[in-house]
Amino acid sequence: MKQEFGDIWVGEKDLNRDESFIANAQNEIQNPSLVDNLGNPEVVEDLGGNRRDFLKMLGFGVSAATAAAGCDIPLKRAIPYVIKPEEIVPGVATYYASTYVSGGDSCPILVKTREGRPIKIEGNDLSSITHGGTSARVQASVLSLYDVNRLKNPSINGEAATWDQLDKDVISALNSAKGIRVVSQSILSPTAKAVINDLKVKYTNVDLVQYDAVSSAAMLSANEITFGDRAIPNYRFDKADLIVSFNADFLGTWISPVEYSIHYTKNRVVKDVHHPKISKHVQVESQMSMTGSNADNRILVKPSQQGEAIAYLYSAISGTRSVASSIDAAVKKALSNLAVELKKNAGKSLIVSSSNNLSEQILVNAMNQALSNYGATISFDNASLQRQGNEQGLVSLVNDIKKGTVDVVIFNNCNPVFEYGMTDLAEVISGLNASVALSYDINDTAALCSHVAPIHHFLESWGDVEAKRGEVSLIQPTISPLFDTRQGEESMMVWLGKASNSDQPYYDYLKKNWESSLFANQSKYLSFSTFWDQVLGDGIYSYSAPGLGQDFSADIVDALSKVSKGEDSDALEVQFFEPLTIGNGEHANNPWLQEMPDPVTRCAWGNYLTVPVGFDGVKKFKGFNNLSDGDLAKLIIGDKEYVLPVVQQFGQAPGTVAVALGYGRSKIGDAGKNVGVSVNDSIRLSGGLAQYYATGAQLSNKIGKEQWFSSVQYHHTMGVTADNKKGEEINADEAALAPGYGNIFAGYQGSLVGRSIIRKAHIDNLEQAVEDLQNEREHHQGLNAETLYPYDAYRKEKYEVGHHWGLHVDLNACTGCGACTIACMAENNIPVVGKKQVARHQEMAWLRIDRYYYGDVENPNVVYQPMMCQHCDNAPCENVCPVNATNHSSEGLNQMTYNRCIGTRYCANNCPYKVRRFNWLDYTTADLFPANQVDVNGESVPFGADNLTRMVLNPDVTVRSRGVIEKCSFCVQKIQEGKLTAKVEGRQLRDGDIKSACQMACPTGGITFGDTNMKEGEFHDKLESPLNMIVLEEINVRSSVTYTMKVNNRDEVLELS
Amino acid sequence: MILKHCRISFFGLMLMLSQTVIAQPSADVGKTLFRNYCAQCHAKDMKTAGTGPALGGTEDRWSDYPREDLYGWIRNSQAMIGAGHPRAVELWEEWKPTVMTPWPNLTDEDIESILVYINQEYTKVPEAATASSGETGEIVEANYNWLYWILLAALGALALILMNYISGLNKLIAAKDNVDYVEKPILKRIFSKPVVSLLILAAVIFGGYTTVTNAISLGRQQGYEPDQPINFSHAIHAGENGIDCQYCHDGARRSKHAVIPATNTCMNCHSAIKNGSNFGTAELTKIYASVGYDPQNNQYIENYDNLSTEEIEAIYRKWITDQYLADNDLMDLDKKGAKEVNIQWEGIVTSLTNKQKKQIQGPIEWVRIHNLPDHVYFNHAQHVVAGGVECQTCHGKVEEMDVVAQHAPLSMGWCINCHRQTEVDFKGNDYYANYELYHEQLATGEKEKITVEDIGGLECQKCHY
Repeated sequence: MKQEFGDIWVGEKDLNRDESFIANAQNEIQNPSLVDNLGNPEVVEDLGGNRRDFLKMLGFGVSAATAAAGCDIPLKRAIPYVIKPEEIVPGVATYYASTYVSGGDSCPILVKTREGRPIKIEGNDLSSITHGGTSARVQASVLSLYDVNRLKNPSINGEAATWDQLDKDVISALNSAKGIRVVSQSILSPTAKAVINDLKVKYTNVDLVQYDAVSSAAMLSANEITFGDRAIPNYRFDKADLIVSFNADFLGTWISPVEYSIHYTKNRVVKDVHHPKISKHVQVESQMSMTGSNADNRILVKPSQQGEAIAYLYSAISGTRSVASSIDAAVKKALSNLAVELKKNAGKSLIVSSSNNLSEQILVNAMNQALSNYGATISFDNASLQRQGNEQGLVSLVNDIKKGTVDVVIFNNCNPVFEYGMTDLAEVISGLNASVALSYDINDTAALCSHVAPIHHFLESWGDVEAKRGEVSLIQPTISPLFDTRQGEESMMVWLGKASNSDQPYYDYLKKNWESSLFANQSKYLSFSTFWDQVLGDGIYSYSAPGLGQDFSADIVDALSKVSKGEDSDALEVQFFEPLTIGNGEHANNPWLQEMPDPVTRCAWGNYLTVPVGFDGVKKFKGFNNLSDGDLAKLIIGDKEYVLPVVQQFGQAPGTVAVALGYGRSKIGDAGKNVGVSVNDSIRLSGGLAQYYATGAQLSNKIGKEQWFSSVQYHHTMGVTADNKKGEEINADEAALAPGYGNIFAGYQGSLVGRSIIRKAHIDNLEQAVEDLQNEREHHQGLNAETLYPYDAYRKEKYEVGHHWGLHVDLNACTGCGACTIACMAENNIPVVGKKQVARHQEMAWLRIDRYYYGDVENPNVVYQPMMCQHCDNAPCENVCPVNATNHSSEGLNQMTYNRCIGTRYCANNCPYKVRRFNWLDYTTADLFPANQVDVNGESVPFGADNLTRMVLNPDVTVRSRGVIEKCSFCVQKIQEGKLTAKVEGRQLRDGDIKSACQMACPTGGITFGDTNMKEGEFHDKLESPLNMIVLEEINVRSSVTYTMKVNNRDEVLELS
Repeated sequence: MILKHCRISFFGLMLMLSQTVIAQPSADVGKTLFRNYCAQCHAKDMKTAGTGPALGGTEDRWSDYPREDLYGWIRNSQAMIGAGHPRAVELWEEWKPTVMTPWPNLTDEDIESILVYINQEYTKVPEAATASSGETGEIVEANYNWLYWILLAALGALALILMNYISGLNKLIAAKDNVDYVEKPILKRIFSKPVVSLLILAAVIFGGYTTVTNAISLGRQQGYEPDQPINFSHAIHAGENGIDCQYCHDGARRSKHAVIPATNTCMNCHSAIKNGSNFGTAELTKIYASVGYDPQNNQYIENYDNLSTEEIEAIYRKWITDQYLADNDLMDLDKKGAKEVNIQWEGIVTSLTNKQKKQIQGPIEWVRIHNLPDHVYFNHAQHVVAGGVECQTCHGKVEEMDVVAQHAPLSMGWCINCHRQTEVDFKGNDYYANYELYHEQLATGEKEKITVEDIGGLECQKCHY
């Protein structure tokens, strides 16, 4: 039943008018009061203060005063190079083209290095795949280079060993082996594959077993059967007017999310308000995925019924009689209507599915074929190689080991013991003659192996990546290896006896391989060295690789009979999904990614069970089984039990729950150890293929409360409404400020209820909505006509001279992927605070992405809003600072001066956008007192306290100490750098010269930074859009950030009614 | 060799530099070019030989050959030697193994300008000492402190007289009222309650003032003049030899750091100049020991990083000894010489090693003089290139310093003052074109000049972020 309720809402507490939530919303600082908690021993212990610390402080105070009074100037050294490398100028960043790679995921990048240290990753805009876009994982990968827990030397049976010992052991094991297997995630590197081929030549019975952390094997097999090509075709979401996705999270995690996001948003951004046209996106799923949250319509189908939904849609498209199925009548009706829409959009539609059932994928291909989408929106030219794995190989590997035909296994930087625990791989590894792990850090698989050969980080390595046929990019080292590690391919070359005596044998091998293959097949360059230099400089080499051109053929009748059978029982179903942040556990040791909230649930540091929200049809909302946010509940799947914290999730299909994979690893570095709960052991195999859902599950009622429930959903909320004592609707944060509301303060502008935070419209009513928006903006601006501070008068004098910086955010281009938030962490030295502090509302991120629901409460739409300091020209924070630590620059920047700040937090209290962050604790460990320091996840050394992690810091940005406020600076260091470059070159600043870190990271171009005084260029054009709005314009703070109206294309005929 | 994908290219900068050169050869342009490219090796009086020959009369010496040959020689001398050009070979025979640095970026006009400047300097008549003497009139600063002391003493005496007078009056009043008058002792009268409270107030104010001023100056180190590991004299390099500051501190024009030059920058000249004018081999050998250069055989030592201290000691002791013998025309080392060699070797060890750095090899760890706090962002390129500030404005006359001392206080007040006063090159740099209002105001005379303050130079986030 479609129920519109409210305007936008952040969650159930908002809609239910939860009292404690509203009370909290009145306070900017929401630190569970220490005084209130002094009876709680845990909190007191956590405080860490005791007599000893007091004496320490006292002693330190006295001695520091004495020392400061009498000491000499401390001797500081200035140490130059002996021989300065030509390309390094100290203080100036050098960029190298390279490629991020992690299993089948890759992204061509530029690595920013300072004095030889990689500190930031940017996208490589020469890439025809990612066009300069990045993802959160790519942005965060630079931190893993400086992981204190990475393996630092080779080991044999857990004991540290030398490379010579290890090589001797491995070579003798290989020589006497009956069967050798190399196990790896999809290998994108043609040269690495060549090394493995050499292994096959030299030793007997060698084979490569490739798998993917989250499998796409059925899809590959379906393509092999229907088109004779075991590859993934190019999906062109930009060419499709109607996109249907069966549970495929193509904007977040599925195959090539950066590429798909770029294509997808091209057709989602409104270019012409008078003739608006955007694509329509329908997501068929049970859980609210990030991609589903961007969809116009979601058709809620239980995980087990996905197969039958695909079959039903196929029948509806092809006009064949549909087979009996368990799905609801409402879903059937929606699917029938969808089929009609699809046929209308034949050749301009696209159907994708993440199903790992062969027949279902064959049907998806058949539908695309029937709609003539091949050649239009799908093409096998330059087909993708990003997924090549097949977990059936792992199953047969285990059988071979049991049979004894395989006795040596080399694990190439992968962790199948965790990802495919159901294959019993863990049990059989000990029976091998030699198990060799080429591993970057300790993981469940390497921990079981007899020999561990630590490998370089990709930023220390040579290599190549062929993510798509004909799209090759190079990996080049940007720093010397930090530890006694060796590149995996080089290790294999040593075991082959092929490693030359040169410093970098794999580099020589790589060059030779390129010379004999790619160079030999081109005619543009005459000499290999110019070819190599060019490709290394660009980072990219591409050539055309047409598809096989084979026609579609498949046994449809057989496929229709073999789709997975839906369960129509009332038993609970569980959807497992790959989280956008840490993948299937591969990135779990990266604190930046752990602290990044999931875009939809907005929970950090762990996996949370999303339960559907029940609606009483009037006003009240209740979580499934009466569970509410932060409750612990027991989930029973077969014979396995999991105790998980719960979040109520709007848009979750009734009768289903969902939980992320990849968490709860125990064999891992400090940051990821035992964070969350591992549910990977409930993935089952069906026909040798992993199925990421479970049926027949049971969920208990509340059995406890998660102690540190780190969901940022209700942190830093704005514009929350509440009922006052008289039953009138007021702003929650205003209730504290204006106790006499309704009497003497009635009608003063700050008390307005319907605050403008998000504007949204349906595409069919766009013109009307734009007109309404213009009227409302005019009204808002008129509210402030009578003021003591006439803005327009001083604007001309002050802000129209020189520069005036601003930001434009296109909400239609924002998919919520969060790449910008991690880029901001990396660029601005933002500390990681850990789970406890997040639970206390003390996360430090300068840029948060607010997620709002709107529309039908039972099946809502979602809008994401990146929220950062708005750099108000009439900033409320500036007026209240007693020491003038935050003030306004002539360029329109709201400047925060840390060394002046005394920590009153008045500014944070007065910020209507809630974007100011306070350093409650000593996150950067500049302090001497453990009580002030914070441990992120119980490590021996706090995060950021060691010199290795500190190598990632940006030397152009101050590291803040305890007790000061900080917030988005519009990347002022980049502004200053851009201005200086222009001054030195004696030219005017151009549009696009300065790009904020969030803008550079954003794959879809949703964020644009620029000078509002500039009268031409991309930024200026975007500011002219009639869709633009300013958040909280009515309170006259004169924000410098402009957002667009969110436009959707929801289709009534696809509603579930 | 890693190829960079370098975004921040300074080719633009180079291009700009070359564009400023006017096509007509001029001595002014020549002077700049000479200072940037030639002065490191060629003496600027054009008459004496430095690392390279004296340049006076160059044109005459090349007059037998086409002008292009001279250009070619300057752009790449080794190529001409290789090609067997007679004049080139002749020069090489005379000066080898010193190689002239090639300057392929110099245009014909550049070279002509340099030649004009060379001729001008070579033929210049030394200016006669024409300044008239005597009339300048030295002002003797008179010292009037003694006056204050007399005044103070007079006031003291007056106070005493008045005190005495008041007590006399009190005595009279007492007598008049028939009351016994007990005269307080003089000390008690001086240190009466009001006086004591006044004194305490003064002490608190003075104490507070001293504490605050001293606290503010904590960490400031104007005049800081530490000993350096090498007795490097800026007076000789920048003063006497006129080497441009930015030849060594090459970061100043393109980076936030001016950069302490790498040892290989020293070697550009000191692979040829092996005896210093002040200290002979004592200081220069430290450079060789840092980088691993064998001055005897004019080559870098193979595998230097892995040599033991003893092996290094043998190499450089021999070099110092041989130089001592040659300088003093000796065959064997005398007692004084042995002592000298020991002192010099000890000097190398103490200069190049410390608690953290045990090896002789490796960088020279200079003592940092200019220390800005970590929360201050300062950019040399901004000031030197964009602002056109002379190095000496902040660093003082470094070219006259044997040991460098901190000239400026480097305090925030000092920065701010300069930003208030300094005029921006508003019309010369196209960057400022979008400050339309200011251009109008300049045109109408409403504003006389635009200072750094006017374009936001006093705002917090220009330096603190």
